[in-house]
Amino acid sequence: MKLLPLVLKNLLRKKTRSLLTIGSIVLPLFVICILGTLLRALEADPSGGKGMYRLIVRHKVSITNWLPGAYDPKIRNLPGVVETLRMNWFGGSYIDQSAKNQFARFSTSDADRLLKVFDEATVVEGSEAEWVNDRSGLLVGRQLMKRYGWKLGQKVAFKGDIYPITLELTIRAVFSAADESGVYFHHQAVEEALPRVKGFVGWYWLKTDSLAAAERVPKQIDAMFENSSYPTRSETEKEFQAMWVSMLGNVKLLVGSITTIIAIVILLIAANTMAMAARERVTEIAVLRVLGFTKEKILGLVLGESFALSVFGGALGLGLFVLLLPGFREGLVNSPMGAFGAGVRLFPEVLLLGFGVTVAVGLFAGLVPAIRSATRPITEGLRQVA
Amino acid sequence: MLGIPLKYNVRNLFVRKVTTTLTVLGIALVVAVFLCVMALGEGLTRVFTASGSEKNVLVLRQNSQSELQSGLGRDQIPLIRALPGIEKDADGKPLVSAELVVVLNLDKRDGGSSNVTIRGVEEKGMALRPQMKLTEGRPFVPGTSEVIVAESVAKRFKGAEVGQEIRFGAYRWKVVGHFDAGGTAPDSEIWTDSEGMLNTFQRGGFSSVLARTTDRAARDQFIAGVAGDARLALEGKVERTYYDDQTSTAAPIKFLGFFVGIVMAIGACFGAMNTMYAAVSSRTREIATLRALGFSRLSILFSFVLESIALAFIGGVVGCALAFLLVKVALSGVTGTTNFATFAEVVFAFRLTPQLLLTGIVFSLVMGFFGGLFPAGRAAFTKITAALRQVG
Repeated sequence: MKLLPLVLKNLLRKKTRSLLTIGSIVLPLFVICILGTLLRALEADPSGGKGMYRLIVRHKVSITNWLPGAYDPKIRNLPGVVETLRMNWFGGSYIDQSAKNQFARFSTSDADRLLKVFDEATVVEGSEAEWVNDRSGLLVGRQLMKRYGWKLGQKVAFKGDIYPITLELTIRAVFSAADESGVYFHHQAVEEALPRVKGFVGWYWLKTDSLAAAERVPKQIDAMFENSSYPTRSETEKEFQAMWVSMLGNVKLLVGSITTIIAIVILLIAANTMAMAARERVTEIAVLRVLGFTKEKILGLVLGESFALSVFGGALGLGLFVLLLPGFREGLVNSPMGAFGAGVRLFPEVLLLGFGVTVAVGLFAGLVPAIRSATRPITEGLRQVA
Repeated sequence: MLGIPLKYNVRNLFVRKVTTTLTVLGIALVVAVFLCVMALGEGLTRVFTASGSEKNVLVLRQNSQSELQSGLGRDQIPLIRALPGIEKDADGKPLVSAELVVVLNLDKRDGGSSNVTIRGVEEKGMALRPQMKLTEGRPFVPGTSEVIVAESVAKRFKGAEVGQEIRFGAYRWKVVGHFDAGGTAPDSEIWTDSEGMLNTFQRGGFSSVLARTTDRAARDQFIAGVAGDARLALEGKVERTYYDDQTSTAAPIKFLGFFVGIVMAIGACFGAMNTMYAAVSSRTREIATLRALGFSRLSILFSFVLESIALAFIGGVVGCALAFLLVKVALSGVTGTTNFATFAEVVFAFRLTPQLLLTGIVFSLVMGFFGGLFPAGRAAFTKITAALRQVG
């Protein structure tokens, strides 16, 4: 520890170099943290564990095929099922088709039960009853209200693409939950405008009373409809979300490899700095050895410098990341990928990863120069002319 | 003005082997990562830009952005067939195909599942897409629940080899052949006949109609004809345009490429700057000597910027070579992602184009320029007398 002042002094000798090296650690480390957070957010469960109790029942062929609404009582009567919901994807567009105006638009045939299944959501403005009792009422996520500056009681129009209709709905209630980027309305409003779609459901969303039921019920449901004209595939909400992530392709491998390469680049830059510093000090180190510094001390001196450099950069990078994360989340939530933004938060394991990269860089970048400096014979070091 | 020969700079790079190698590798990796991500985006974009013909018109319901959202009644088909402008095939039949698309959730070979488009076509479906070739097996026989599967789909999903059966509850499809569509949209699809599919899925109508028109004038006439018939409530889109509208699928990948590329380039630029500062400071006397010999400040500045650019250029070339090798060897297979406009998987391959390689080189030159500018400035403003007096 007595060496610490010397290590710091050494760092300050070439201020530009130290600053540039720290800079070249800060930015890539920031990218590593952002990528790590995205990856974790993809796997995160925005329902806070409640998704394990909920099931999604869809057509076996894919979610784009309809199921008959008549399955509802049959599913409802299964032991362990607490509540069921008939859900539909309306899709369509608000204002225009552009990416900035994309958000999820769902309709449900059972508005009165929505908040019983989607129970982590709480109504923060207006009231549930007002929304449930108004067939052209709209339930809006708080984030979305803010994004468009909507007011309670305002009318908004959605133009259909799957359904050739335009719906004009009145905002009756605002909900708060992890994912506040969607809207919900009565499917009856769609059916009134387009009677031929009556009786069809996009998927069932249900709540079970226990983990055991959440595991048992999907098999029962699928067996029940196996040989009907509308076979089903039932799974927990968690598995359902995992399917969406899997549909994106091998994101894990892509992001994982990018992260690894970034870490290697940081290492190369830091190693270069340390190699340059050690080379310039060959004579000096030999003098230190003559003065009585042991090989171990020289080793510690060079490694310590590399470590200090990397930890400074790492701390700044992590600090920058923690500081900018709320802004990044805000930006993501308001983008077409808003649903993914819901899962973004400060994951301790991401900070740990950033710290790990920092420590590894500090260690490996200084290793070769440190060993070479420590083991170079004094006479050779003194003979060298810079 | 007398310039300092480039040889001076290049030889200096070789003298400082370790530093040069580390810097070059750093820049090379940044360029390689950038290129690989961009090659991924390019491959995905190419599926859309290569698909669709200028002469084909896709008829969809008004406001529908994709075939999946669209729906046409059976009764509307004869009205569309009767419109003027449609080209006739060699056998005298019009080149029209009423099609139904449904997405199937299939299990991937590497785990997980994804949606794959199953497309029901009429007799002329294949003639309308001339890139398509059967590579194995035989065409499906209409009305028999037989399907042909794109080779790249068969590579990524389970149960799609010739002779196997794709099962879903009561549904059964026998795979009788594989096809290749030269990297265009059908390469992500499974094909069968549309009448059979209407029965299987108990659908009352089709998703879309694809028609070949004889020329540009006929095409415009056909599109106007579709729009003009109020009974139809449909619209005709040039097939080319339809696919162009879907290229935005690749936007997040390209954004990732630029984000990672630019931030990392700044990092690598700092690294190069470090290297160049060290180069300048260890050659202070040399520079002063050059100045004393009569080389101007400008030529010193120019010379060191050039040295930095040369350093980065080597990095750029190595990076391109690395990316090229990676894409050719490790990433040569097909990969896939979901196109959320059609809700189905798009299968594609990495694509490293000459333009991308050029971008990589330019990218490295920019890093070299900015990395060298300030150190070169310091070199150019070296005080001659002080520097010459300085020892070692």
